[in-house]
Amino acid sequence: MEATEYGWLILAFPLAGSMLIALGWKLLPGRSAGWIGTLAIGLSFAASLGALFQLLDLPADERQLTHSLYDYASAGGLEIEMNILLDPLSVFMCLVVSGISTLIHLYSVSYMTSDVGFRRFFSYLNFFVFSMLLLVLAGNLVLLIVGWAFVGFASYALISYWYRRSTATEAGMKAFVINVVGDIGLVLAALFLFRELGTFDLLGIFEAAPEEFSTNEGVAVAIGLLLLVGAFAKSAQVPFHTWLPDAMEGPTPVSALIHAATMVTAGVYLIGRFYPVFEIALTAADVAAIIGLVTLLLAATIALVVTDLKRIIAYSTMSQIGYMIMGVGIGAYSAAFFHLMTHAFFKALLFMAAGSVIGAMANRQNIDLMGGFRAAMPFTCATLLIGAAALAAFPGTSGFFSKDEILAFAEHRGGFYWVFAIGGYIGALMTAFYAFRIGFRVAFGEPVPEARELEQGHIHHAEPKNPATGEKEDTDVGFPGSSHQIAEREWPMKIAMSVLAFGAIFAGLVQVPGLDAVVEHFLEGSFEDSALYGELPSDAAEWRGLGIGAIISLFGIGIAAQLYLRRPGTTARLQQQLAGLHSFLSHKWYFDELIDALIVRPALGFGRWANTTFERYVVQGLVVGAEGTAKGASALVRGAQSGYLRSYALLLLVGFAGLGLYFLVAGS
Amino acid sequence: MSDFAAPTIDYAGLSPVIALTAGICLVLLVGLFRLPHWVAPAKTLGVLAVTAGLCIWQWGENEDLVESALRLDELGLAASLIAIFAAAVTTILAMREPAAEDAGQGAFGALLLGSVLGMVLLAQAQNLLSFFIGLELLSIPLYVMCASAIRRERSLESGLKYLVIGSVGSATLLYGFALLYGASGSTDFGEIAAALGEGGQADDTLVLIGTAMVAVGLAFKLSLAPFHQWTPDVYQGAPTPVTAFMAVATKAAAFIALARLFEVALGPLTDDWQPALAALALISIVVGNIGALGQDSLKRLLGYSGIAQAGYMLAGVVVANETGLEALVFYLAAYCLMNLAIFVVVVVRERETEHGDDISALEGIGRSRPALAWPVTIGMLALAGLPGTSGFIGKLFLIEATVEGDYTWLGVAIVIGTMVSLAYYLRVLAAVWMRPEPEPVQTPLPAIAGASPQAPATEGPRVTPSPASERPLGAGRCVLVVGAGVVCAVATVAFGVYPDPLVDWATDAGSSLSL
Repeated sequence: MEATEYGWLILAFPLAGSMLIALGWKLLPGRSAGWIGTLAIGLSFAASLGALFQLLDLPADERQLTHSLYDYASAGGLEIEMNILLDPLSVFMCLVVSGISTLIHLYSVSYMTSDVGFRRFFSYLNFFVFSMLLLVLAGNLVLLIVGWAFVGFASYALISYWYRRSTATEAGMKAFVINVVGDIGLVLAALFLFRELGTFDLLGIFEAAPEEFSTNEGVAVAIGLLLLVGAFAKSAQVPFHTWLPDAMEGPTPVSALIHAATMVTAGVYLIGRFYPVFEIALTAADVAAIIGLVTLLLAATIALVVTDLKRIIAYSTMSQIGYMIMGVGIGAYSAAFFHLMTHAFFKALLFMAAGSVIGAMANRQNIDLMGGFRAAMPFTCATLLIGAAALAAFPGTSGFFSKDEILAFAEHRGGFYWVFAIGGYIGALMTAFYAFRIGFRVAFGEPVPEARELEQGHIHHAEPKNPATGEKEDTDVGFPGSSHQIAEREWPMKIAMSVLAFGAIFAGLVQVPGLDAVVEHFLEGSFEDSALYGELPSDAAEWRGLGIGAIISLFGIGIAAQLYLRRPGTTARLQQQLAGLHSFLSHKWYFDELIDALIVRPALGFGRWANTTFERYVVQGLVVGAEGTAKGASALVRGAQSGYLRSYALLLLVGFAGLGLYFLVAGS
Repeated sequence: MSDFAAPTIDYAGLSPVIALTAGICLVLLVGLFRLPHWVAPAKTLGVLAVTAGLCIWQWGENEDLVESALRLDELGLAASLIAIFAAAVTTILAMREPAAEDAGQGAFGALLLGSVLGMVLLAQAQNLLSFFIGLELLSIPLYVMCASAIRRERSLESGLKYLVIGSVGSATLLYGFALLYGASGSTDFGEIAAALGEGGQADDTLVLIGTAMVAVGLAFKLSLAPFHQWTPDVYQGAPTPVTAFMAVATKAAAFIALARLFEVALGPLTDDWQPALAALALISIVVGNIGALGQDSLKRLLGYSGIAQAGYMLAGVVVANETGLEALVFYLAAYCLMNLAIFVVVVVRERETEHGDDISALEGIGRSRPALAWPVTIGMLALAGLPGTSGFIGKLFLIEATVEGDYTWLGVAIVIGTMVSLAYYLRVLAAVWMRPEPEPVQTPLPAIAGASPQAPATEGPRVTPSPASERPLGAGRCVLVVGAGVVCAVATVAFGVYPDPLVDWATDAGSSLSL
């Protein structure tokens, strides 16, 4: 089979799985929907592997294949085909997305067992993976936007999955609104690219862009910035980041899938994919790098103080995505995508371990209530610590090699780019600390009652309550199910986590400075024309960076051990002494409040105005006679009627006068 | 005075018009006999099918009819086909509508056909006189149909309001025509263009004021802001099938007529009217999208959304090029499908719940009535331009046309308007999929022995029931109605995934004006 045929298969399996479950859900007993979903994504992963091998058979400079199924929308000067672009970058993304998603599906089969909406869940999940793969494989901007919008829509459905929880629907709405803002950015970017270059085709754009635009030309920078709006919204970068922590309202596997391994990486993919534009619009690339840096630092500081287990991991995601955005912004493409891959392993693992812990805690997520699980849940705690180690860039783990490669590249570019290296190392210190804040608090210390109960062989049960508000859950549809699952007792969860744990430790070995550079060599085919791709730091410089990274990582872990293992209680004292700083951070830098005051409230006020004043006075007519209201019901209708008509006619005349005046002015 | 020569008449070209006229008489006669209730709708559908067949037969012809009073081309036929399709769906919907039965199905069908006849004429008119006759023939049956639910005050109010405002609009238009005739000395589109193009004429005050008046008159028919105020009221008050028909068919015919009038007859003035129409489009997009935000009534919401959508479509005329026309025709067809899919559901739920056309009438149908929930979902998503639906492709074409016609800012307005519109379309979907179904209304239980004789008097205020609404509806009719919605929804998705056939069709129509 041709590589492109595999490409279509990558898309076909998840779509078929989603449709099958959506249409035939009544006929699917027990867990079968989950197995179908898992199989669909598994086959998609197999097809990705097929595409990979086909691609590797080709000479390195002929690895950009497009294939069109049919004319999607062609009329006049517009030619849009239903085509995919299969090149190293898209295959790489497909492998990561479908591979990690298969494991997450497998995990969900167990984790979601007792949920009433089990089949709905898998239909959404498959559709989500399909959308993400479509985004990645799209051969033109229109299809890319299709996938982009589907991803937003699917994430809305999955975040609000427990739709009887008010917090979940609000979170879904927030994610959707911010995503739509991003969509506007992307669509406008496409609009301007089409206007300037006359094509929506990705390869066409990449070919024409260097010829049509001169370096840092205004239009190119504007297009770059519009693309960035899209990327930032999807990837939860400042100031579009507030939806990501709230999105933790979705079930834990959703957090693992959408908010760690796939959706949030779409922004990184977009910037990487459009490198020809960003290497012309240098200002836009710098903006990307700066925002990435700001996000990684901001998110890391918040992760230091948040107490909700899943939210800590969510902020760490934001922070890690910040590294990647910074990476593609400064031109460290292969390093950024390498980090994207390793991050997918360890972040999915962290979320899965967290899900298992949350199961043992009967759905409570506050880490202040957790502790001492290492005896009760040895497997979960081991994987949690492995995930934390990789996140903290503990020497030898996957995160160690990938993160430091980005920072080494920043050093290598020198000059102004030193800022990114220094900022990155500061972020790394905080990361190491909060990663092991999770690990130590959950696994070590005095066992909490739930852990003791589990040691007796019984999972704790509690009245189902919304962990965010304490409201009683709607036990009909909108709650996580009556029983709780932990990895120790469910083999699918165990398998998924074992594979990820293996990847989290060893995935970094594919790209060790001086030894091998698998990712970098493979991706080269997609970045052929890049001026920056070949600009790599020397092995010595990379090893120096790794050395610094190792020291910082160990230092951060050491502080965490000191605070949480040796002298528990220190943090509470610190919190009291630095109350102001703590409340500033735990209020997430007051970003929600700021956006609320600047955007949400004015928008709501505007909506209310639109609903009342606008409708009543401007739309329904200028005058609703006061006498009318005083009269009887039928008189009211009549009075209002004639009142409306008068005013309608008035507006008609006003409108006409406006038009007429215009024509007179225009004509003379 | 030269002697009057009878015009040569091409009967084949006129056949759709003739078929409709004959059909009106045929359907009217049904009322004379005591026939089963399904005869009149069946005959109406038959007439529409024959007319559609004739239109398809004539597809590809390109000639002047009746001394060039009408123009037979794909553009006019495309609008006719859209109107015929909408009328067919309306006929099916009207079988569930008591108002139509009250009026007598025969009369209702004849009025509907009369309005379609007006649309066919309007879409083909290339003479000011035939244009006006078509417009009035389109409107007058609609006034009556709006008021046909004679037992509902709202319906009467709606009909009256539409009549009065419609007359103001028509009068404005006619005045404008008079001025144009005065300036150019002809009522024929081609000759007007020739006269205006001769130079000097185009800047004439008379011509400019005339153009403005014509724009106002048509903007009223198309419910373009700021001439839209009647729309939500009339949409809400009219019987729902009539609303559905007005929303899609009138738009199709009037937009094509507008395009023909402005791009052929007023072609020499393009530079003058382009910014004016662009401004109308922008105002419509803003007003429609803002107005729809807080609506609880589905029909009002669709009314405002229709204003915004009319703004998008006007962009296709503004750019005054072939791409724009093609995009317009495509969008009109797509719009027809997606709107009808929604209206079907509104019609069905209106009779099933006590909420009427309130959004709450749709609550919980995702669980209980998937055959209704999916059409409304697909329709709303298509209106919002979600990828994978024909609405997305349509908007894409419109945006592309704006770029090509150097009106990129209008394209940007469409993008932003579309995104804002998600807010109100998704609100409806949230009701469909995320709310529990309201408890079924309990009919008061028969008084139990010993209980208080005063049974709980919880009956809400009800409109005077019409005999038809009390009659249980046959299951067959319901299947037909729901089926129509499903067909529209499936077509919306199909043309979203594989738009080629519709694109070809729209390309044929758009290029027939040969700008």
